Amino acid sequence: MKHVYGWLLLTPAAILLVGFTHYPAAMTLFDSFFSTGTVVRPSRFVGLDNYAALADDPIFWQVLGNNFWFALGTIPSAIALAMVMALWVNEKLPARALVRMAYFTPTVLPMIAVANIWLFFYTPQIGLLDQFNALFGVASHNWLGDPDTVLGAVMLMVVWKEAGFFMIFYLAALQSLPPELEEAAKIEGASRWYFFRRVTFPLLMPTTLFVLVNATINSFKLVDHLFILTKGGPDNASSLLLYYIYQVAFSFFDTAYASTLTVVLLALLAGLAVLQFLLIERRVHYR
Amino acid sequence: MKQFGRVKAVDDVSFRAEAGKFVVLLGPSGCGKSTLLRLIAGLEEPTTGRILIDGRDVTKLAPEKRKVSMVFQSYALFPHLSVAENIVFGLKVRRLPAQKRKERLAKVVELVALTEQLERKPSQLSGGQRQRVALARAIVAENSICLMDEPLSNLDAQLRHGMRVEIRALQQRLGMTVVYVTHDQVEAMSMADRIVLIREGRIEQEGSPEELYARPATMFAARFIGTPAMNLVALADGAGGAVIRGSADVVLPGSGAGLTLGVRPEHVRLEEGAAGTGVRATVTSAEYHGADTIVTVQAGEETLFVRAPGQLALAGGAKVRLAWDPEAAHLFDSETGLRAVDVRQQARVAAAQHRKTG
Repeated sequence: MKHVYGWLLLTPAAILLVGFTHYPAAMTLFDSFFSTGTVVRPSRFVGLDNYAALADDPIFWQVLGNNFWFALGTIPSAIALAMVMALWVNEKLPARALVRMAYFTPTVLPMIAVANIWLFFYTPQIGLLDQFNALFGVASHNWLGDPDTVLGAVMLMVVWKEAGFFMIFYLAALQSLPPELEEAAKIEGASRWYFFRRVTFPLLMPTTLFVLVNATINSFKLVDHLFILTKGGPDNASSLLLYYIYQVAFSFFDTAYASTLTVVLLALLAGLAVLQFLLIERRVHYR
Repeated sequence: MKQFGRVKAVDDVSFRAEAGKFVVLLGPSGCGKSTLLRLIAGLEEPTTGRILIDGRDVTKLAPEKRKVSMVFQSYALFPHLSVAENIVFGLKVRRLPAQKRKERLAKVVELVALTEQLERKPSQLSGGQRQRVALARAIVAENSICLMDEPLSNLDAQLRHGMRVEIRALQQRLGMTVVYVTHDQVEAMSMADRIVLIREGRIEQEGSPEELYARPATMFAARFIGTPAMNLVALADGAGGAVIRGSADVVLPGSGAGLTLGVRPEHVRLEEGAAGTGVRATVTSAEYHGADTIVTVQAGEETLFVRAPGQLALAGGAKVRLAWDPEAAHLFDSETGLRAVDVRQQARVAAAQHRKTG
């Protein structure tokens, strides 16, 4: 009787999970082995044809490359910035609560709102950035319209948005460190930098791992801003993998190919997570 | 003096720690003894006043320039570093060559018996072992002064006793000057060369453990040293001399009003039966401790503790008589809490001065 109750309690959550997560995931994998069906030509099994098409798709490779640079550009800088900010607002300083809140504000804003704010920054001629540059006689530049600068401009915004969120985790970790550690190091004559390098940084490693995994997932997951800022353009220069999947599925209605792309994205994320844990686990000290 | 906001944590405290001596700052929690230690270490800066080490004014000096080591109450070990790394942390900061570090480490772990645990992390050690690591980290610096902030308070009673003996032995072997903060009078009595008793940020009494035990300067000091604490009973005027409040038996010649009598439980002799000399009292309870029995008695309106050797078969309500040697009795002024003899002395000095100036 006992396990019946157990199952009953699990059922509501299980229905939601299976219905909206596990079944779609399985179906995605299943669909990736079939062609996209139409009214005249129903869907049929094509084996690995979709994957072969993907390997030959230049846009896929470009988008994957974009995502690689996007991750490389945003993750380390957001983490470093978050750590520096956390160290700073953990000190005794005037209006500390206000400073902390100010750093956290970008996190509270929806990505769509953030993108709109930054759209105003980047707009040629009337945008904040161009107006500021004009003061120094720098010519106007279409930051989001130039394939060379668009990805950088988007990355900058994402770092601004994410750093405050990660800062909160670092701040929590810093506050759980006993202050005697710093005093003990002080008496031994350790400089602040030495103490950070040998004690604080290693003790923050569990947080860093957590933040790193989150940042990696986010760099593949967060594409809301592209809808406002660039729509992936110009010429796919700022498109990311998930945005491309969205286009394929809902603009081109090629569901089979979108499924294939999704499987690749999931495999990529799973692989990255495993790699991170294997590489960093050994260097992390959990208390 | 050290002031936090408007609160004076430490006020008008002045004491000397002789080189090679074990000085204990003793007092109840919140009395400012830890603040005092942190002032010496340089972790806090005094609002006013000076701190001298070896005749050198270090008041404005950074902690590492004061050449002192410190053992923290929480040990403050670096959880991600091994025992060996923890111990040589300071040596690495000071860029001591690896060879030298190794030699010093070997010497120190021998002293504190940690040779087997060098590669372990602090979380894999027992409380006593962590304590040893903290000690080792303090002595490996080879500073002549070591500050200890309640280092034994996280250990269980049995370990505490062992560590007490060990720390004292280590201090004497290395000839260190130790300033040791504790609220435990047993630690103070058993380890100290000199005790500085602190109350509410001020020095209550300073002296050797023997002095504090034999001649408490105030009622506070009398109550703080010794277990169970000294009996402090209010006196009153009786027929033929001072009596314990509510009792008829004279304990002292002269007036008793306004005075408090102090007698240590171990100095009270207990005699059974109501007939005979001594202060008559009634037994309330008897608590058997093994080597001795703590008997609670009621004399007049006051309750006293008596420490009687061995086992005593005394039922509640039994009539007894109490006696003590005259030199075991201490007199205090009930109003000020000061030792009454000193009070009388002060009065004499004041009168003498009055005569001179008048």
